[in-house]
Amino acid sequence: MKLIYLLLLGLSIVAAQAQQPAEPQEAKPAETQTQEAQAPTQEAQTQTAAEAPAAGQDQATAAELTKFGGGVIDFGFRVISDVGGDFNTYRSVVNLGEGPRLFNLDWNLRDPSGRLWDNFTLRGNAWGGDPYNTARVAVRKSGWYDFSFDYGNIAYFNFLPSFANPRLQQGDFLSQRAFDIARRTSNTELHFLPGRIISPYIAYTRNSGFGTGITTFVSSGNEYPVANRLRDETDNLRAGANLQVGWFFASFEQGATHFRDNQQVFTSNLNPGNRTTPLFGQQLFLQGVQQNYGIRADSNYTRGYISGAPAAWLNFQGGILYNRPETDVNFQQANAGRFVVLPLLMFYDGQLDNATGMGRLPRTTGHFGFEVRPVSRVRVLQSYMTDRMHNTSSLLLAERLLTGGTTAAQNTLNVLDRLETNYNQHEINGLFDLTRRITLRAGHRYVWGDSRLRAPTLADLPAGQLESGEMRRNVGLAGLNVRFTQRFNVNASAEVSNGKRTYFRTGLMDYQRIRVIGRYQLFNSLSLNGNIAYLNNENPDPNSDYRFRDRQNTLGLFWTPGGGRRLTLLAEYTRSTVRSEITYIAPQFLQRELSFYRENAHMGTALLTLSVPGRASFQPRVTLGGSFFTSAGSRPSSFYQPLARFGIPFGRRVEWNSEWRWFSLSQAFYVYEGFRNHQFTTGFRLTM
Amino acid sequence: MNLLARPPRQTTLRSAGVTIARRARTLPGSPGFLTAVAAVFFLVLTALGARQEGQQQPAQPETPAQEKQQEQQAAPAAPVQKTYVGSDTCMPCHEEIHTAFAKNPHQVVEAGKQRKKWANQACESCHGPGSVHAETVDAADILQPAKLKPAAANQICLSCHLNQKTNTGRMQGGHGRNEVACTSCHSVHGAQQGWVDRRPLAVNKQCASCHQSIWAQFLKPHTHPLQQNAMSCTGCHNPHGSVLPAMTRTVHANEPNCIRCHGDKRGPFVFEHAPMRLDGCGTCHEVHGSANPRMLTRQEQRFVCMECHSNIGVRNNTVGGIPPSFHDLRSPRYQNCTICHIKIHGSHINRDFLR
Repeated sequence: MKLIYLLLLGLSIVAAQAQQPAEPQEAKPAETQTQEAQAPTQEAQTQTAAEAPAAGQDQATAAELTKFGGGVIDFGFRVISDVGGDFNTYRSVVNLGEGPRLFNLDWNLRDPSGRLWDNFTLRGNAWGGDPYNTARVAVRKSGWYDFSFDYGNIAYFNFLPSFANPRLQQGDFLSQRAFDIARRTSNTELHFLPGRIISPYIAYTRNSGFGTGITTFVSSGNEYPVANRLRDETDNLRAGANLQVGWFFASFEQGATHFRDNQQVFTSNLNPGNRTTPLFGQQLFLQGVQQNYGIRADSNYTRGYISGAPAAWLNFQGGILYNRPETDVNFQQANAGRFVVLPLLMFYDGQLDNATGMGRLPRTTGHFGFEVRPVSRVRVLQSYMTDRMHNTSSLLLAERLLTGGTTAAQNTLNVLDRLETNYNQHEINGLFDLTRRITLRAGHRYVWGDSRLRAPTLADLPAGQLESGEMRRNVGLAGLNVRFTQRFNVNASAEVSNGKRTYFRTGLMDYQRIRVIGRYQLFNSLSLNGNIAYLNNENPDPNSDYRFRDRQNTLGLFWTPGGGRRLTLLAEYTRSTVRSEITYIAPQFLQRELSFYRENAHMGTALLTLSVPGRASFQPRVTLGGSFFTSAGSRPSSFYQPLARFGIPFGRRVEWNSEWRWFSLSQAFYVYEGFRNHQFTTGFRLTM
Repeated sequence: MNLLARPPRQTTLRSAGVTIARRARTLPGSPGFLTAVAAVFFLVLTALGARQEGQQQPAQPETPAQEKQQEQQAAPAAPVQKTYVGSDTCMPCHEEIHTAFAKNPHQVVEAGKQRKKWANQACESCHGPGSVHAETVDAADILQPAKLKPAAANQICLSCHLNQKTNTGRMQGGHGRNEVACTSCHSVHGAQQGWVDRRPLAVNKQCASCHQSIWAQFLKPHTHPLQQNAMSCTGCHNPHGSVLPAMTRTVHANEPNCIRCHGDKRGPFVFEHAPMRLDGCGTCHEVHGSANPRMLTRQEQRFVCMECHSNIGVRNNTVGGIPPSFHDLRSPRYQNCTICHIKIHGSHINRDFLR
């Protein structure tokens, strides 16, 4: 990582020295200005992102280009205070560290000859030790090739004491399900002759995860937190070609995916586990364990896709995919200590397991749809989709239980398993332009499917019989699109269903979903935005008695008096409520109890930006604001992120940005998980 | 740009979903129940008659702009025949757009590298023939996609961009159903980042401008790192549409995009956990953000599991099993199910997901 970081810095410096004097900056197109004025709230939110020097990033999206190119570099230094409260929770939620950073690099290289490429883009984000790093290289020459490489590295640290820790009440804050891993993804694509009649392409995607963690080794009557080493990799290679002939388009792709999982679980320390009392006079413990997973999976798939517009009133599209992933399993386990087979009340002090298995999941997916525009006022969209996957699998497990170094019991287990799922969906929507400013939509969606799977261990089904489930859902669809003026538009959609069957007790059954999105530009300097989202889902079956309701209402405003030269105000507020009730069976008494979940949340973002009068090339800016989340209910939480930021431009090429930010999390029921942290970031933004 | 100005007359734009204000007066002014019934009835009739009407159409134009030109030529009242004049004619008045357009990917149209017949006529490929507008300098004499209905504007874009794989599932997607205009996200003329800015920061801004309540969920403590610009909305959703619900992007073999990063959850597992296949990750996780650890839907893990695993007696075709009777949920050891059922997303070794 550091090598790449240095390489990027070096490249930028060399390019900066090589470039010619910049030409005057072009005026921003009116279209872009309008778009910015109409999209206020997101700016406020994204500016609360965790990196300070990116403050002006969205204001100067790309630098003026010299003959050889140009770009923007944000770099600086972050200092964080000592974390008050729980450091592990801080790392699980924020995880930003201190040190020098390359916050952002956005570079465009020009080919003076114009022969090699039309556009060469190099981008990087958050390099130098932050938990999230991304990079992108895109090179394109119109009509010849289009190349892109995307890279992402996301550190995943999760060590929350409250999560899956049965010893919490004894004051043991060791999370028994913890991760400290990194997930890396990269995607490389190369398209040849884009836009031509035949355009072949090849692509490679890699995803890997590696690191350490804590998991549990589970044995009858006790479970033991142990170390976990994780390593998995997925490689996908695919190639295909696009064919474009007149109004007809077809695409064919052949791909192959290979997956490896070499996870290990181990410990060599004496571990008493979570059981604190002897079992039938015997104290269970773990002396050592070694588990080795050797999982290999391969998948070859073939995909075809067609689309076309044979007439001005008709579009169609469809696709089919066949995929047959296969998994092969090789697993070994050796553990020593004191264990028990509870059903037999047999105690033993060693175990050797060896397992091989396989899974086969042939899967066929197809979809087809068309859009008809019989007259200018009417459009009809119809689509059908089916997805069928049938997994058959088996496992052969050889198990030896040892006592005093000799085999006390030996067992070979052959298990077969199965999961069949068929999913289908048909949808039709008719859109009618009532007037030039009002469009109505009405439609119907029918979703149906069936599934058969292994019954649970204690299911009330005859041995060997598969459990089956069905899904039947009729959904009425409606929509309204109103464009009163260019300043005021509203888009509303609704779904109403009287579900007949659902797979799970908490699945969508009788539900109503409403979404409304509106925007009103009251004045040239003031625009308002609003969202209404509502979902009500009920399963009246006495066995479930499920009631779920989710409401989210948002109001935002963007105020830029005088064109925003001196002051801009971005504000947004969201009120969210979740209410869920369902009965469940408490397993200790097999009695019905109520699972009751509430979340009444307030969320908001506000940013006030003030510009000090002066020349445009030396006009300091101060930004105050931040965001907050606070909720009451089943897990009351407060998460605050206030910030203060200032930027001072030194001419048109250099800007000094600094930011102070405070992170604070508190949870009333889990006070030990709270944290507080100050962060100060300063850096420069160079535009070349 | 004066946004208060009245939009220009649209009475000459009669095709590809362009509404004629004059005809609108023949329908009831306020939508009511009868109007809705009539509209649905009209929908059915017109859908059935689509093929017949299509057969009566003359040779199809390549773009909606051409189509409008044909109609204008066919209109007996058209006093002047509009012709194409080339982009150079547009440039003196629209210099800013012309300059920006030179750096836009659509420049390939102007250069004739693609769609050769539109070489040097890129402006008119979308705005229609501009001879009359060039003479009168009247905005009413040129087609302005930005002021059309979204459906009509989209047809202009889709006349070239329909046949792209990224549009797979457009008809199933919410944006397609709700007629979100292409220009809501794409800059047709813009120079700075092409026709769309693909940097995560810009993408997230764009999406959040409409989906504010979704974006607000990322203010919760346990979220995917979108606020840090490590991910973007389009990393998981395809704004052009998808065959999966919520326009979830697919990867590899039409698999949900979650496994693009969480590859270890892909399977196939020897012992599958059915919700993973039947209802997806959203069954247990609030993927946009949650106040609960691991983005779970409930404050404690046992509730996530027990709400499904409580089938007893009448199953009513639901799956999910019954609770094991020896688990005493009053003990902290049994309140967090994944303490023992480690491989809850699917196991290769144990049917109870213990290893």
